[in-house]
Amino acid sequence: MDSLYLAWQYVRFNKAKTIILVASITLIAVLPLALESLLTESERQLLVRAESTPLLIGTKGSALDLVMNSLYFDDEIPELMTMEAVERIHDTQFALPIPLYVRFQARGHPIVGTTFDYFEFRRLSIDQGCPLTMLGDCVLGAKAAELLGIGPGDDLVSSPDNLFDLAGVYPLKMKVAGVLAPNHSADDLAVFVDLKTAWVIQGLGHGHQDVTRTRDNSVVLKRADGNVAANAKLYHYTEITEDNLDNFHFHGDMSIYPLTAIIAVPNDEKSGALLRGRYLDRDDTEQAFLPAEVIDGLLQNIFRIRNVIDSVIAVVGLAMVLVIILVFTLSLRLRQREIQTIFRLGCRRAMIGRMLLAEIVLILSVSGVLCMAVLGVVNANAEELVRRLLMG
Amino acid sequence: MKTVHQIVLGMILVFSSHVSAAERLSVYTVNYPLAYFAERIGDDQVEVVFPAPADVDPAYWMPDRTTIAAYQQADLILLNGANYAKWIGKVSLPRSKMVDTSRKFKDRYLYTSEVTTHSHGTEGAHAHESLAFTTWLDFSLAKLQAESIYEALARKRPMSEIEFKRNYQTLAGDLDKLHAQITAIVARDPDRTLLGTHSVYDYLNAGYEMNLKSVHWDPDEAPTVSRWNDLKHILEGHQGMYMLWKSEPLLESVSDLRKKGIESVVFSPSANRPDSGDFLTVMRANIGALALAYK
Repeated sequence: MDSLYLAWQYVRFNKAKTIILVASITLIAVLPLALESLLTESERQLLVRAESTPLLIGTKGSALDLVMNSLYFDDEIPELMTMEAVERIHDTQFALPIPLYVRFQARGHPIVGTTFDYFEFRRLSIDQGCPLTMLGDCVLGAKAAELLGIGPGDDLVSSPDNLFDLAGVYPLKMKVAGVLAPNHSADDLAVFVDLKTAWVIQGLGHGHQDVTRTRDNSVVLKRADGNVAANAKLYHYTEITEDNLDNFHFHGDMSIYPLTAIIAVPNDEKSGALLRGRYLDRDDTEQAFLPAEVIDGLLQNIFRIRNVIDSVIAVVGLAMVLVIILVFTLSLRLRQREIQTIFRLGCRRAMIGRMLLAEIVLILSVSGVLCMAVLGVVNANAEELVRRLLMG
Repeated sequence: MKTVHQIVLGMILVFSSHVSAAERLSVYTVNYPLAYFAERIGDDQVEVVFPAPADVDPAYWMPDRTTIAAYQQADLILLNGANYAKWIGKVSLPRSKMVDTSRKFKDRYLYTSEVTTHSHGTEGAHAHESLAFTTWLDFSLAKLQAESIYEALARKRPMSEIEFKRNYQTLAGDLDKLHAQITAIVARDPDRTLLGTHSVYDYLNAGYEMNLKSVHWDPDEAPTVSRWNDLKHILEGHQGMYMLWKSEPLLESVSDLRKKGIESVVFSPSANRPDSGDFLTVMRANIGALALAYK
C-alpha cells in the first residue's frame, strides 16, 4: 500500500509526463480494437443486407456493381436488362421475381423503381400516409423524408438525368403517398416508386391529350392505317394526377423495357438451386448469384487491407512500446538522486522496485480504463456510425 | 345428457364455421366471368370480390384509392390478361398475388382493327391499345382461364386441391357444353354472315370460325348517318341477317334495322354481374339467341 501511495503521489506530481504516457498507451491500444469493432460492424451490416437477399439476377458484368446498386442503391448503374428476364423467372415458377430499376435521383436520393412485393420482402412498413397506389406516387424512406423535410401529400420532383441533355429525361412531379418506418438500411434514404413510374420518368410512358380524338390538327403529323402519328408539339404532362391518370400510357413492347436487376425470392432451397442452374450457360447474357458471396469476397479484400493496416499498427505499437520503455529508463536515470535519497531514508531495494512497478501499473490501469471507456463509446455507436459511413 | 351432447355439438359447428369464415381466401377479380369461375371453383373456401359498380364496363373502370388498397390486401388478384383492365397498368399491385388467367394462351391473343392507335413521329412505336380482350367468349379459352384459377387456388391452399379440382371439373364440363353447343350451331351454316356491334365478339368470331362483321354501334345510342353508311357496304349481297348486340338496344335501332331486313338479338359478354341469374344462365340465353340467328 505504501508503494502504491508513493507511486500515486509521483504520477500526480508529474502530470504532463503521466498524461502523455497514458494517452500514448491508450491510443495504441484503442486503435486496433476500435478498428476491429468498426470493421466487424461493417461486415455485419453489409452481410445482413446481402444475406437477406436470396438471389440477384442481372446482366453479365460486374457483380459488385450490381450488388451495390441493387442492395445499397449506389449510383453506379450496372448494365441494363429487360422485363423479359422477369417473365423468364416467372415461367420457371421457382421464384418470385422482384424487378428493380435504380437509375434516377430526386434531390440527391436514389429513386428505386420496383413492385409492391419489394415492401413485403424487405419487411418495410408504412409509418405515415399510405403505400404506393397509383402511377406517380412515391413512398419515402424514413431518413429521406426527414432530410427532405416532406411528408404525405407533398410533392417531389425527380432530378434531370443529365443537365446537358435537353432531349433527355424530363423531371416528373411525384406525389408523396407515404413515409416508411425506419429500417436501419439503405431503404431509409431511398425514394420508392412503382416500376411503371420509373419508366414514366425515363419517358417510356407519358400522358397527353387523346390525339386520336383531338380536333387540334397542329399536333398531328399523319393519320393512316388505323394510327395517328403525333408531332413534337404535343404537350406531355409533367405530373400525374387523378384527372389525367387515364391519359397515361406506354408505347411499344413492354417486355423490352429496362431494369437494373431482379431480386429472385425462391419458393424453397431446391427451387433456388434449380433457378441458379438455369443461368450457368456460358452464352447466357444474364447471371444469377448470391449477393452474400459477392459481399463476402469484397470483405475479404477489405480484410486483406485491414491486415496490412493491423501490421502497420503493430509496428507502430511496437515502436511506441520501445519508446515508453525508453522513457521509463531515462526517467529512472533522471530520478537516480531521488531513488538514492529514498534508499538512504531506509527504504529497501524491493520496496523501491515495488514503487516503480506501482507507477507503471497505475499508468497502465488508467490507460486501461480509458481504453475501455473509449471502446465502450465506439461499440455503442458503431452501428449508427457505420450506417452513416455506408449510406453516405 | 342428450341436451349436453346437443349443446357441445352445436358449439363445435358454430366454432368450425367461424374458423372456416376466418380462413377463407380473399380473391379479387377484374371482371364478372372470373368472379363466377372463382366462386364455382373455390366454393366456401373463398370470398370473391368484384368491386366494379354494376353500371360500368369493367375494362374501362378506374377504381379509387380505397378500392386499390383493398386489391393490394387480397390473397389473390385474378386478371383477365390481354390488356383487359386498363387500370392495372396504372396502379401498384403485388405481382406475387396476381394471376394472369389468360397467360396460357398469350400466343392466341387477337388484335382488333376497331381501335385507332397513336404513335409519336411516323417511326414511333404504337401505344398498345388494340388487343381484343373478351377472351371468355371462346369457351375453350374460358376453360383455360378457369384452369388457371383452379391452379392458383390449389397453390394457395394445397390441402383443398382435391375439392378445387372437383369443382373445376364440374365448371369445365359446363363450359365444354357451351362450347359444343355453339360449335354445333355455327356448323349449321359456317358461312352465315352475322353483324356484331362492337369489337367484343372477336374471340367468339375467331374461336368458332364464324363470319361476323363488326360495326361500331352502341346499344344506348341511335346510329349516325356514317354508321349506317358503313353498314350499307356490309349488307351488299347479304339478306336476312342478324345483328348481335352486347345489351338491349334502343327500340328505334331495332325497328330501323328490321326495315333493312336485319333482326337484332342480344349476345351479352356478361363482363359485369347480370341483374339476374349468373354467367351460365346469361351464356345459355346468348346461345339461344345465336341459335335463332343461325336458323
